[in-house]
Amino acid sequence: MIHRILSVVILFGTLGFSQLKNPETILENVKKEFDKIEDYQVDVKIKVDVDFLKMPEREATIFYKKPDKFHIDSENFALLPKSGLNSSPLGFLNYDYKAYYIREDTVNGAITSVIKVIPLEVSADVILSTFWVDTQRNIILKVESTRKPQGTFFIDMEYLKTKQGFWLPSSMTFSFTVDRSLYPGKLNKDNDSESGKSKEDSSEKETGYVYLNYSNYKVNIGLQDELFEDKNEKK
Amino acid sequence: MIFTLVRIELMKIFRKWRTYIGFIAIGILVPLLHLAMYLEGQNSIDFVTRGLRESFILVGNLLNGYWISYIILNALTIHIPFLITLVAADLLAGEATAGTYRILVTRPVSRMQIVTSKFIAGMIYTGSLILWLAVMSLVVGLIIFGSGELIVAGSQAIIIFDKSDVLWRFFLAYGFGILSMSVVCSLAILFSSLVENAIGPIVSTMAIIIIFIILSAFDVAILRELKPYLFTNYILSWREFFNDPLDLTEIAKSVLILSGHIILFFTATSFIFYKKDILS
Repeated sequence: MIHRILSVVILFGTLGFSQLKNPETILENVKKEFDKIEDYQVDVKIKVDVDFLKMPEREATIFYKKPDKFHIDSENFALLPKSGLNSSPLGFLNYDYKAYYIREDTVNGAITSVIKVIPLEVSADVILSTFWVDTQRNIILKVESTRKPQGTFFIDMEYLKTKQGFWLPSSMTFSFTVDRSLYPGKLNKDNDSESGKSKEDSSEKETGYVYLNYSNYKVNIGLQDELFEDKNEKK
Repeated sequence: MIFTLVRIELMKIFRKWRTYIGFIAIGILVPLLHLAMYLEGQNSIDFVTRGLRESFILVGNLLNGYWISYIILNALTIHIPFLITLVAADLLAGEATAGTYRILVTRPVSRMQIVTSKFIAGMIYTGSLILWLAVMSLVVGLIIFGSGELIVAGSQAIIIFDKSDVLWRFFLAYGFGILSMSVVCSLAILFSSLVENAIGPIVSTMAIIIIFIILSAFDVAILRELKPYLFTNYILSWREFFNDPLDLTEIAKSVLILSGHIILFFTATSFIFYKKDILS
């Protein structure tokens, strides 16, 4: 029902633009561009900036294999956002959807097409996504997505060109809303009662950020399936 | 002279069977906790991190020796004080029970030296018990579970400490534990100076600790005003060493208050023992 209402609202809202650009084609081009990548391995530095979560910066290695195999390996404890981590447009658009071209916009100096995507599958965990697509390089520079149950998150991406000539993210900034009540203090209850502050704060929504800096891409190196299975079990 | 007296007091302490109850209890309890954590610890970690798992992928092992030692340190409130009072409450009352007060006081040492040596011996016993707890929980925990990051779920934030940033916090936390348990030891010795049987001081000390903890637990205005004056309120201040950044003011305040209690109890005990009629 929500999907239908959103479809109607966006349809009428964008009617004036008469689909000047074909959003389906734009997204297909992005998929095709990324589809050239069979697999990759990349080192990533992770910095988490959430008010009620303090942790040191971390390093990890991310492995990806087409179409959706994905694994994180880290010597230490690491924490990464669930959504959009593998930067694959296939990951963002792994459901049947209807796309609407909205407008043109500029992101970090690049002219982008803003496209809204509504899933047609009721079972999809995405409610509504907006993509800022650089149609020159066929890459997604910015994402705004509302999902169940995480809520809305934003991803800003910057890219580098690998030695093999692929455009892959050099950095990603995730911003998301988190419900503080999901993170109760369990070991220092006496502090809670002393100030009474935690009860007041429990209903507060806060914005958190995760910064990912990618380096040392190794693309199309023939990663084996077993690598993912073993690592997934370990994880 | 005082060193000789302390050595004699330690010999008295460690010749008694009850002294080893604490060490045996920790020696049995902590490995049982390790076993429980080995079997069920991941569920506890999952519980603490359940909110994070809503939005994040967690990689790595948080179930490690540091985390288990942190959980065990929480036993300092009730369980360890009881093991300490078993010995401390007997330090002076035991002399009365055995009828050795007169022999003790007629030796060429002052009553002040006797009380001081008993206090020091009690503190050494307390320190050795906490060190034993550290060895059993931290050293054995690290051997069984290995090291790793420590996750601490505080009231205001979840803090994940790098493994290189944890060990010094534990050293300071155990050091603080020795200080806070020394207050319990001092209180038990104070009660011990008042009676001629160790049972009374053991029960009295534990009763005070339990009453203070219950008073602290009630979140009503009048008791909240009272809370800063209860020494039990500072026993768990070792947790401040697992905060980021460290609240040095709060730590210094807790150290001063606990040290003040030790001095107060020592002074009161010395006064009572000085005035004690050993002829009756």
